[in-house]
Amino acid sequence: MGQDIKISIRNLYKIFGKTPDVALEYVKRGMGKPELLEKHKHVLGLENINVDMQEGEITVIMGLSGSGKSTLIRHLNRLIEPTDGQIMIDGENVLDFDEERLRKLRREGMSMVFQKFALLPHRTVLENAGMALSVRGFKVEEFESEARKWLARVGLEGNGDQYPHELSGGMQQRVGIARALASNSPIMLMDEAFSALDPLIRSDMQDLLLELQEELQKTIVFITHDLDEALKLADHLVILKDGHVVQQGEPQEILMNPNDPYITDFIADINRARVLRVRSVMEKTSEAPEDCAGDLSEHDNLESVIARSNGDTDLVYRVTRRGNQIGILDMKVLVRALVPTESSDSVERAQL
Amino acid sequence: MATYDFLFSSLGLKEWCAEGKSDAPMSMAALLSKSKGTDEQEVSIWELPFPSMDALNDSCARFPQSRDLTKGLEEGFLAVKDNLSVVLDPITQPLSWALDGTLYGMLNTPWWIVIPVLLAVVLFVTKSWKLVGFVAGSLCLLAFIDYYEYAMQTLAIIFVCAFLCVLIGVPIGIAMSRSDMMQRLTIPVLDMLQTLPPFVYLIPLIFLFSVTESKLYGIAIILYAIVPVIRLTNLGIRLVDKDVIEAANAFGMTSHQKLFKVQIPLALPNIMAGVNQTIMMSLAMVVIASLVSAPGLGVLVLQGIRNLELGVGLVAGLGIVILAVILDRVTKASLARINASQKQ
Repeated sequence: MGQDIKISIRNLYKIFGKTPDVALEYVKRGMGKPELLEKHKHVLGLENINVDMQEGEITVIMGLSGSGKSTLIRHLNRLIEPTDGQIMIDGENVLDFDEERLRKLRREGMSMVFQKFALLPHRTVLENAGMALSVRGFKVEEFESEARKWLARVGLEGNGDQYPHELSGGMQQRVGIARALASNSPIMLMDEAFSALDPLIRSDMQDLLLELQEELQKTIVFITHDLDEALKLADHLVILKDGHVVQQGEPQEILMNPNDPYITDFIADINRARVLRVRSVMEKTSEAPEDCAGDLSEHDNLESVIARSNGDTDLVYRVTRRGNQIGILDMKVLVRALVPTESSDSVERAQL
Repeated sequence: MATYDFLFSSLGLKEWCAEGKSDAPMSMAALLSKSKGTDEQEVSIWELPFPSMDALNDSCARFPQSRDLTKGLEEGFLAVKDNLSVVLDPITQPLSWALDGTLYGMLNTPWWIVIPVLLAVVLFVTKSWKLVGFVAGSLCLLAFIDYYEYAMQTLAIIFVCAFLCVLIGVPIGIAMSRSDMMQRLTIPVLDMLQTLPPFVYLIPLIFLFSVTESKLYGIAIILYAIVPVIRLTNLGIRLVDKDVIEAANAFGMTSHQKLFKVQIPLALPNIMAGVNQTIMMSLAMVVIASLVSAPGLGVLVLQGIRNLELGVGLVAGLGIVILAVILDRVTKASLARINASQKQ
C-alpha cells in the first residue's frame, strides 16, 4: 500500500454569504460561527480544515448534518469554490486549475457517488454505468464492454438494459458505484453514498466497497453521519463539527483516546467489542506469555476474541502479525477496554 | 376661468400659456358650456376635477390634451413604420412563403393522400390505434359536411405557426433558464404578450404589413401562442433534478453536453406540455386572425357573425372544437408516452 499523500487540504475556509472575503477576515481573527451569522449574516461552512488523505486508503469524513462534510467533499472537485485555502492533488493546487484542466480532473482524476444516486433517468443502466466514458466522447459500442464489466463486478449482470427507475434503491446505488468505477479514476468521492439505503443493504454495500477496495486500492473519500459505517470503512477518520475538524486519525486511536466531549458522546453508544481490534488494546511486547491460550491476529475484533475465550477472563493470548508475536492480550485488559471513556458532559452534569 | 388656473399663475407661466390660447381646437365640452353661457363658475370641492391632462388644458391652453397623447403615439408609430418595415419585411418574408406553401400543399394534395398521411403521423406519435380511429372519424365527418377545405387551411396554419413557435421558443426558453438576467428581462414581455387582448396584436400589424400578406396573421398567431412553450421550457430546465446536474458536473460534462444529454431530455415532459398549450393557443388565435384574412374555419365563424348566419357559425364553431380535441388528444398522448419513459 502506497503511503503517499494523494490529497492534501490546507487551511481551507468556506463562508457562505454576500461578501465572504470580508467575513473571512473576521473568522481569521477568531469570530465564531454563531456570532458571524448574527452580526454579519454569513454562514461559516468550513473553518481552517487541514486533512491529508493517503493514496489507496479510505478516508472517512464523519459529522452530523450541518457539520460541513458534504461541503468539504464538493471542494475536492470544486463543485463548490472555497473562500480561502489550498487543495493539493498529486502536488498540484486544484484551485489554480483553469476550466479545461478542471474538467480533465473531473473526467479522469475523480469520480463521485451520490447519496440520491443521481442517475440519468432517461438512460439505461448500461449507459449510466458508462457515463464517465460517454462524457469523454466514447460511443456506446466502445464503452459497452467496460460498463458491462463493472456492472457485473457490482452484481448487476443482467440489468444493463433496464432503466434506473426499474431498480431498487440498493441496485441503483450499485449502478452509481459501477459508474464511478468505470471512469477508472484513482480517486473516488462518496457523498453519503449508503445513507439512503436500508440497514441490511447498507451493510452489503459496505462489504462490497471493502471488497472492491481490497482489489483496486483507490483513494476513497467517504462521507457519512453514521459512526458504525465510519468505523467499518475508515483507514483514516476525520470528525467534523460545525465546520471544523474536531479530531482525526486512525479510528481505533480515536475510539481509545477521544479528545473532545463531542466525540466521547458520539462513541458512547457504539458496540465497542465489535469495533475495537486486538491491536488497539494489546500490550506491545515480544515476550511470550507464560500461559498462552492461543494466537490472535491483530485485526481480530474483540467480539470474536470474547467468543473464542468463552468469557473466561483469566486467559492470555498471543497477538501475531504474519506469524511473529507483536504483543499479548490479557482478557482482563480486554474487558476493561469495553467500558467507554466516561462522557465529559456527564461528569460535568454530575458535578452540578 | 378653470380650476387649476392658480397653479399656472403661481408658477409664473400665465404668459406662456396665453401664447397658445387660440391654436387649440375647442373640445365638445367647452363648446357646450359656451353655448349654455355658464362659462365662469366657481366649482365646489365635490366637483373638483382630477388634475388630468384635459383639466390642466382648460387652465392653460398650451398644456397637451389626452387625445394628443394617443395621436402622438399614432404619429410616432407611423413615422417609424416605414423604416421598421424595411427591416421586418425581409425577415418575416419566409413566414409568408411557409404559410402559403403549406396551404397550397395541403389543399392541392388529394384528400385520399392527406388524410392517411395525417393518420400515419398520429399513429407514429401516439402509438394508439384508438386515437387513430377517432381522428379518422372526425376528419371524415368534417369532409362529409364539406368543411374539409376549411379545416385543412386551419390545420396548415397551425402546423406552420406551432412549428415556428417551438423553433423560436425553445431556444429562448433555454436562454432564460441559463441566465437569471435574461429571465428577468423576458418575463415582463411574456406577461404582456399573454395579457394583451388578442385583437390588439392585430392593430400595429395591420399598419406594418399589408393585409393581403399571410405573414400578418402568422405573426399575430406566433406572438400569441409562443408564450407557453418559452415559459415551460425555462421552467422544465430549471426544474431538472439538482442532484443529476451535480452528477453531470462531477463527471466533467461541458455545458453543451449537459444541455443536450441531461437538461433537455429531462425537461422534455414540460417542454411537450408547452407545445400542447402552444398548439391550442394557435388554434384560438387562428379564428381571431380571420379578421385579417387568415383562411380556414374562422372565416366561416366570421361570416356567421357578419351575416347572422347562425347555422354556418355554429357548425364552423363545432368544427373548431373537433380540431381542438384532435390536436389536444394527440399531443397529450405523445406527452404521456414521454412521461412514461421518464419516470424516476
